[in-house]
Amino acid sequence: MINHSLTSEISFMIFFILLTLIVYQAYVQLQKFCQKAWLNPMLLSILTLIPLLVFFNIPFEHYYEATTVLNGLLEPAVVALGFPLYQHIQTIKKQWRQIVILLFVGAVITIAISFCITIYTINQYEIAVSLSLKSVTTPIGIALTEQLSGNNSITAFAIILAGLFGALLGPPWLSFINVTSPKAQGLAIGAASHALGTATISRLSYEHAAYSSLALIISAVVTAIFSPIIIKILVHFL
Amino acid sequence: MSVGICLLAGKAIEYFLPILPASLYGMMIFTALLHYRFLNAKRIQPCIEWAIANMAVCFVPAGVGIINHFELIKSYGFMLITIIFLTTFLLLTFVGITYQRQLNRHNPTIKKELNN
Repeated sequence: MINHSLTSEISFMIFFILLTLIVYQAYVQLQKFCQKAWLNPMLLSILTLIPLLVFFNIPFEHYYEATTVLNGLLEPAVVALGFPLYQHIQTIKKQWRQIVILLFVGAVITIAISFCITIYTINQYEIAVSLSLKSVTTPIGIALTEQLSGNNSITAFAIILAGLFGALLGPPWLSFINVTSPKAQGLAIGAASHALGTATISRLSYEHAAYSSLALIISAVVTAIFSPIIIKILVHFL
Repeated sequence: MSVGICLLAGKAIEYFLPILPASLYGMMIFTALLHYRFLNAKRIQPCIEWAIANMAVCFVPAGVGIINHFELIKSYGFMLITIIFLTTFLLLTFVGITYQRQLNRHNPTIKKELNN
Protein backbone atom coordinates (compact mmCIF):
# COMPACT_ATOMS: atom_id res chain seq x y z
CA MET A 1 0.00 0.00 0.00
CA ILE A 2 2.69 2.45 1.08
CA ASN A 3 4.81 1.30 -1.79
CA HIS A 4 2.02 1.99 -4.21
CA SER A 5 1.44 5.58 -3.09
CA LEU A 6 5.16 6.23 -3.15
CA THR A 7 5.53 5.09 -6.74
CA SER A 8 2.55 7.15 -7.82
CA GLU A 9 4.04 10.18 -6.10
CA ILE A 10 7.34 9.69 -7.88
CA SER A 11 5.67 9.25 -11.25
CA PHE A 12 3.65 12.39 -10.51
CA MET A 13 6.88 14.25 -9.87
CA ILE A 14 8.57 12.99 -13.01
CA PHE A 15 5.50 13.80 -15.05
CA PHE A 16 5.25 17.43 -13.92
CA ILE A 17 8.95 18.11 -14.16
CA LEU A 18 9.04 16.64 -17.66
CA LEU A 19 5.93 18.59 -18.61
CA THR A 20 7.48 21.85 -17.42
CA LEU A 21 10.79 21.16 -19.16
CA ILE A 22 9.14 20.10 -22.42
CA VAL A 23 6.82 23.08 -22.53
CA TYR A 24 9.72 25.40 -21.74
CA GLN A 25 12.02 23.79 -24.30
CA ALA A 26 9.30 23.97 -26.96
CA TYR A 27 9.00 27.71 -26.41
CA VAL A 28 12.78 28.12 -26.49
CA GLN A 29 12.76 26.48 -29.92
CA LEU A 30 9.83 28.66 -30.99
CA GLN A 31 11.70 31.78 -29.91
CA LYS A 32 14.81 30.67 -31.78
CA PHE A 33 12.72 29.98 -34.85
CA CYS A 34 10.82 33.28 -34.80
CA GLN A 35 13.66 35.46 -33.46
CA LYS A 36 11.25 37.58 -31.44
CA ALA A 37 12.29 38.82 -28.01
CA TRP A 38 8.75 39.10 -26.70
CA LEU A 39 8.15 35.37 -27.18
CA ASN A 40 9.64 34.83 -23.75
CA PRO A 41 9.81 31.08 -22.99
CA MET A 42 9.30 31.58 -19.26
CA LEU A 43 6.20 33.75 -19.62
CA LEU A 44 4.69 31.53 -22.29
CA SER A 45 5.33 28.41 -20.17
CA ILE A 46 3.58 30.01 -17.21
CA LEU A 47 0.67 31.05 -19.41
CA THR A 48 0.42 27.52 -20.82
CA LEU A 49 0.68 25.68 -17.51
CA ILE A 50 -1.90 27.77 -15.63
CA PRO A 51 -4.85 26.88 -17.92
CA LEU A 52 -3.65 23.25 -18.00
CA LEU A 53 -3.71 22.99 -14.22
CA VAL A 54 -7.07 24.75 -14.01
CA PHE A 55 -8.56 22.62 -16.76
CA PHE A 56 -7.47 19.30 -15.26
CA ASN A 57 -8.35 20.53 -11.80
CA ILE A 58 -4.90 19.99 -10.36
CA PRO A 59 -4.29 22.03 -7.20
CA PHE A 60 -1.28 24.30 -7.47
CA GLU A 61 0.18 22.76 -4.30
CA HIS A 62 0.45 19.39 -6.05
CA TYR A 63 2.23 20.89 -9.01
CA TYR A 64 4.51 22.94 -6.78
CA GLU A 65 5.46 19.97 -4.63
CA ALA A 66 6.13 17.85 -7.69
CA THR A 67 8.45 20.49 -9.15
CA THR A 68 10.37 21.22 -5.93
CA VAL A 69 13.50 20.04 -7.71
CA LEU A 70 13.26 22.84 -10.27
CA ASN A 71 12.59 25.36 -7.55
CA GLY A 72 15.55 24.02 -5.57
CA LEU A 73 17.83 24.56 -8.56
CA LEU A 74 17.17 28.28 -8.23
CA GLU A 75 19.70 28.65 -5.43
CA PRO A 76 22.68 27.15 -7.30
CA ALA A 77 21.58 29.09 -10.39
CA VAL A 78 21.83 32.35 -8.48
CA VAL A 79 25.28 31.32 -7.23
CA ALA A 80 26.31 30.65 -10.84
CA LEU A 81 25.58 34.32 -11.61
CA GLY A 82 28.78 35.07 -9.72
CA PHE A 83 30.62 34.03 -12.89
CA PRO A 84 29.66 36.97 -15.14
CA LEU A 85 30.16 39.19 -12.12
CA TYR A 86 33.74 37.90 -11.82
CA GLN A 87 34.38 38.54 -15.51
CA HIS A 88 33.46 42.19 -15.19
CA ILE A 89 34.86 42.86 -11.76
CA GLN A 90 37.68 45.04 -13.10
CA THR A 91 35.38 47.58 -14.75
CA ILE A 92 32.92 47.41 -11.89
CA LYS A 93 35.65 48.21 -9.35
CA LYS A 94 36.26 51.59 -10.95
CA GLN A 95 32.63 52.66 -10.71
CA TRP A 96 31.91 50.93 -7.44
CA ARG A 97 30.91 54.00 -5.46
CA GLN A 98 28.68 55.55 -8.13
CA ILE A 99 26.81 52.29 -8.58
CA VAL A 100 26.21 51.79 -4.87
CA ILE A 101 24.95 55.35 -4.39
CA LEU A 102 22.71 55.14 -7.45
CA LEU A 103 21.15 51.84 -6.37
CA PHE A 104 20.75 53.09 -2.82
CA VAL A 105 18.88 56.21 -3.92
CA GLY A 106 16.77 54.22 -6.40
CA ALA A 107 15.76 51.61 -3.84
CA VAL A 108 14.94 54.15 -1.13
CA ILE A 109 12.83 56.27 -3.48
CA THR A 110 10.82 53.36 -4.85
CA ILE A 111 10.22 51.84 -1.42
CA ALA A 112 8.94 55.18 -0.16
CA ILE A 113 6.80 55.88 -3.24
CA SER A 114 5.26 52.39 -3.36
CA PHE A 115 4.42 52.61 0.31
CA CYS A 116 2.84 56.06 0.08
CA ILE A 117 0.81 55.38 -3.07
CA THR A 118 -0.57 52.18 -1.58
CA ILE A 119 -1.45 53.86 1.70
CA TYR A 120 -3.31 56.61 -0.17
CA THR A 121 -5.16 54.36 -2.61
CA ILE A 122 -5.79 51.03 -0.89
CA ASN A 123 -5.12 52.28 2.63
CA GLN A 124 -3.99 49.00 4.18
CA TYR A 125 -0.71 48.82 6.01
CA GLU A 126 0.09 45.21 5.22
CA ILE A 127 -0.48 45.57 1.49
CA ALA A 128 1.64 48.71 1.46
CA VAL A 129 4.49 46.84 3.13
CA SER A 130 4.20 43.97 0.68
CA LEU A 131 4.21 46.22 -2.38
CA SER A 132 7.19 48.26 -1.24
CA LEU A 133 9.31 45.10 -0.95
CA LYS A 134 8.66 43.81 -4.45
CA SER A 135 12.01 44.61 -6.08
CA VAL A 136 14.16 42.12 -4.18
CA THR A 137 14.52 38.36 -4.58
CA THR A 138 11.74 36.28 -3.05
CA PRO A 139 13.60 34.94 0.02
CA ILE A 140 14.56 38.43 1.19
CA GLY A 141 11.18 39.89 0.31
CA ILE A 142 9.32 37.25 2.30
CA ALA A 143 11.66 37.51 5.29
CA LEU A 144 11.26 41.28 5.41
CA THR A 145 7.49 41.03 4.99
CA GLU A 146 7.32 38.83 8.04
CA GLN A 147 9.54 41.16 9.98
CA LEU A 148 7.37 44.17 9.11
CA SER A 149 4.10 42.21 9.40
CA GLY A 150 3.02 42.54 5.79
CA ASN A 151 1.10 39.97 3.74
CA ASN A 152 3.23 37.09 2.46
CA SER A 153 1.14 36.03 -0.49
CA ILE A 154 0.79 39.60 -1.75
CA THR A 155 4.56 40.04 -1.50
CA ALA A 156 5.14 36.83 -3.45
CA PHE A 157 2.67 37.93 -6.10
CA ALA A 158 4.13 41.45 -6.33
CA ILE A 159 7.67 40.10 -6.59
CA ILE A 160 6.79 37.79 -9.47
CA LEU A 161 4.88 40.52 -11.26
CA ALA A 162 7.67 43.08 -10.81
CA GLY A 163 10.09 40.46 -12.11
CA LEU A 164 7.99 39.70 -15.17
CA PHE A 165 7.41 43.36 -16.04
CA GLY A 166 11.09 44.20 -15.88
CA ALA A 167 12.25 41.03 -17.58
CA LEU A 168 9.88 41.29 -20.52
CA LEU A 169 9.29 45.02 -21.00
CA GLY A 170 12.59 46.23 -19.54
CA PRO A 171 14.90 45.84 -22.53
CA PRO A 172 12.52 47.35 -25.14
CA TRP A 173 11.50 50.18 -22.80
CA LEU A 174 15.09 51.04 -21.88
CA SER A 175 16.15 51.04 -25.54
CA PHE A 176 13.17 53.26 -26.28
CA ILE A 177 14.25 55.89 -23.74
CA ASN A 178 17.78 55.80 -25.15
CA VAL A 179 19.35 53.68 -22.41
CA THR A 180 21.20 51.48 -24.85
CA SER A 181 24.31 50.40 -22.97
CA PRO A 182 24.14 46.77 -21.77
CA LYS A 183 25.68 47.94 -18.49
CA ALA A 184 22.92 50.46 -17.78
CA GLN A 185 20.20 48.06 -18.93
CA GLY A 186 21.58 45.29 -16.74
CA LEU A 187 21.86 47.53 -13.70
CA ALA A 188 18.32 48.88 -14.11
CA ILE A 189 16.73 45.47 -14.60
CA GLY A 190 18.68 43.88 -11.77
CA ALA A 191 17.55 46.69 -9.47
CA ALA A 192 13.89 46.56 -10.43
CA SER A 193 13.33 42.93 -11.31
CA HIS A 194 15.73 40.92 -9.11
CA ALA A 195 16.74 37.35 -10.03
CA LEU A 196 13.86 36.79 -12.44
CA GLY A 197 14.87 39.78 -14.55
CA THR A 198 18.52 38.83 -14.27
CA ALA A 199 17.84 35.28 -15.45
CA THR A 200 15.90 36.50 -18.44
CA ILE A 201 18.32 39.14 -19.66
CA SER A 202 21.39 36.99 -18.99
CA ARG A 203 20.63 35.45 -22.37
CA LEU A 204 21.27 38.79 -24.05
CA SER A 205 24.92 39.26 -23.13
CA TYR A 206 27.46 38.64 -20.40
CA GLU A 207 27.60 42.35 -19.65
CA HIS A 208 23.87 42.35 -18.98
CA ALA A 209 24.29 39.38 -16.68
CA ALA A 210 27.20 40.88 -14.75
CA TYR A 211 25.64 44.28 -14.09
CA SER A 212 22.27 42.79 -13.35
CA SER A 213 23.75 40.38 -10.80
CA LEU A 214 25.60 43.26 -9.22
CA ALA A 215 22.43 45.35 -8.94
CA LEU A 216 20.63 42.31 -7.57
CA ILE A 217 23.10 41.96 -4.70
CA ILE A 218 23.40 45.64 -3.84
CA SER A 219 19.66 46.27 -4.00
CA ALA A 220 19.06 43.24 -1.80
CA VAL A 221 21.52 44.49 0.81
CA VAL A 222 20.16 48.05 0.72
CA THR A 223 16.55 46.92 0.97
CA ALA A 224 17.26 44.41 3.72
CA ILE A 225 18.98 47.02 5.86
CA PHE A 226 17.02 50.17 5.12
CA SER A 227 13.43 49.19 4.33
CA PRO A 228 12.48 48.65 8.00
CA ILE A 229 13.82 52.12 8.83
CA ILE A 230 12.10 53.83 5.88
CA ILE A 231 8.77 52.19 6.60
CA LYS A 232 8.94 53.10 10.27
CA ILE A 233 9.64 56.73 9.40
CA LEU A 234 6.79 56.82 6.87
CA VAL A 235 4.35 55.25 9.31
CA HIS A 236 5.30 57.92 11.79
CA PHE A 237 4.53 60.75 9.35
CA LEU A 238 1.47 59.43 7.52
CA MET B 1 30.37 21.10 -7.92
CA SER B 2 32.18 24.30 -6.90
CA VAL B 3 28.82 26.05 -7.04
CA GLY B 4 27.46 23.57 -4.53
CA ILE B 5 30.30 24.20 -2.11
CA CYS B 6 29.79 27.96 -2.36
CA LEU B 7 26.10 27.51 -1.70
CA LEU B 8 26.84 25.43 1.39
CA ALA B 9 29.24 28.08 2.61
CA GLY B 10 26.50 30.64 1.94
CA LYS B 11 24.08 28.59 4.03
CA ALA B 12 26.57 28.59 6.88
CA ILE B 13 26.91 32.37 6.74
CA GLU B 14 23.16 32.79 6.52
CA TYR B 15 22.86 30.82 9.74
CA PHE B 16 25.13 33.22 11.61
CA LEU B 17 24.27 36.44 9.79
CA PRO B 18 20.70 36.22 8.51
CA ILE B 19 20.59 39.49 6.55
CA LEU B 20 20.81 37.98 3.06
CA PRO B 21 19.67 34.62 1.71
CA ALA B 22 22.23 31.83 1.26
CA SER B 23 22.21 32.05 -2.53
CA LEU B 24 23.43 35.66 -2.51
CA TYR B 25 26.21 34.89 -0.04
CA GLY B 26 27.08 31.92 -2.25
CA MET B 27 27.24 34.17 -5.29
CA MET B 28 29.67 36.53 -3.57
CA ILE B 29 31.88 33.67 -2.41
CA PHE B 30 31.86 32.16 -5.90
CA THR B 31 32.92 35.49 -7.41
CA ALA B 32 35.68 35.91 -4.81
CA LEU B 33 37.03 32.38 -5.39
CA LEU B 34 37.15 32.97 -9.14
CA HIS B 35 38.73 36.38 -8.69
CA TYR B 36 41.51 35.12 -6.46
CA ARG B 37 42.07 32.16 -8.79
CA PHE B 38 41.04 29.44 -6.39
CA LEU B 39 38.87 28.10 -9.18
CA ASN B 40 39.80 27.51 -12.78
CA ALA B 41 37.49 29.86 -14.68
CA LYS B 42 38.21 28.36 -18.11
CA ARG B 43 37.39 24.86 -17.01
CA ILE B 44 34.00 25.64 -15.51
CA GLN B 45 32.93 28.26 -18.05
CA PRO B 46 30.98 26.00 -20.47
CA CYS B 47 29.02 24.45 -17.62
CA ILE B 48 28.20 27.82 -16.05
CA GLU B 49 27.20 29.30 -19.41
CA TRP B 50 24.75 26.50 -19.95
CA ALA B 51 23.31 26.92 -16.47
CA ILE B 52 22.81 30.66 -16.86
CA ALA B 53 21.23 30.34 -20.30
CA ASN B 54 18.68 27.90 -18.92
CA MET B 55 18.07 29.19 -15.42
CA ALA B 56 14.80 30.92 -16.32
CA VAL B 57 13.02 27.56 -16.36
CA CYS B 58 13.51 27.36 -12.58
CA PHE B 59 11.16 30.31 -12.19
CA VAL B 60 8.27 28.66 -13.98
CA PRO B 61 6.82 26.84 -10.91
CA ALA B 62 6.94 30.03 -8.84
CA GLY B 63 5.35 31.97 -11.68
CA VAL B 64 2.53 29.46 -12.01
CA GLY B 65 1.88 30.30 -8.35
CA ILE B 66 0.05 33.40 -9.55
CA ILE B 67 -3.07 31.19 -9.81
CA ASN B 68 -3.14 31.09 -6.04
CA HIS B 69 -3.66 34.83 -5.98
CA PHE B 70 -6.67 35.22 -8.27
CA GLU B 71 -8.85 35.97 -5.26
CA LEU B 72 -6.48 38.67 -4.21
CA ILE B 73 -6.56 40.36 -7.60
CA LYS B 74 -10.34 40.19 -7.61
CA SER B 75 -10.72 41.77 -4.18
CA TYR B 76 -8.24 44.60 -4.57
CA GLY B 77 -8.87 45.17 -8.23
CA PHE B 78 -6.23 46.18 -10.67
CA MET B 79 -4.98 48.99 -8.45
CA LEU B 80 -2.50 46.49 -7.05
CA ILE B 81 -1.15 45.60 -10.47
CA THR B 82 -1.07 49.24 -11.53
CA ILE B 83 1.04 50.23 -8.53
CA ILE B 84 3.47 47.37 -9.09
CA PHE B 85 3.69 48.23 -12.77
CA LEU B 86 4.26 51.96 -12.25
CA THR B 87 6.83 51.71 -9.47
CA THR B 88 8.78 48.99 -11.29
CA PHE B 89 9.02 51.21 -14.34
CA LEU B 90 9.96 54.18 -12.22
CA LEU B 91 12.92 52.29 -10.75
CA LEU B 92 13.93 50.90 -14.16
CA THR B 93 13.85 54.34 -15.72
CA PHE B 94 15.61 56.10 -12.88
CA VAL B 95 18.51 53.67 -12.61
CA GLY B 96 18.78 53.19 -16.37
CA ILE B 97 18.85 56.88 -17.31
CA THR B 98 21.13 57.97 -14.48
CA TYR B 99 23.70 55.27 -15.14
CA GLN B 100 23.59 55.81 -18.90
CA ARG B 101 24.31 59.51 -18.29
CA GLN B 102 27.26 58.64 -16.07
CA LEU B 103 28.60 56.29 -18.72
CA ASN B 104 28.23 58.94 -21.40
CA ARG B 105 30.11 61.44 -19.30
CA HIS B 106 33.05 59.05 -18.99
CA ASN B 107 32.92 58.10 -22.62
CA PRO B 108 32.43 61.18 -24.83
CA THR B 109 32.47 59.16 -28.07
CA ILE B 110 29.17 57.51 -27.22
CA LYS B 111 27.74 60.93 -26.42
CA LYS B 112 28.73 62.22 -29.83
CA GLU B 113 27.11 59.27 -31.51
CA LEU B 114 23.93 59.89 -29.58
CA ASN B 115 23.89 63.57 -30.47
CA ASN B 116 24.35 62.90 -34.15
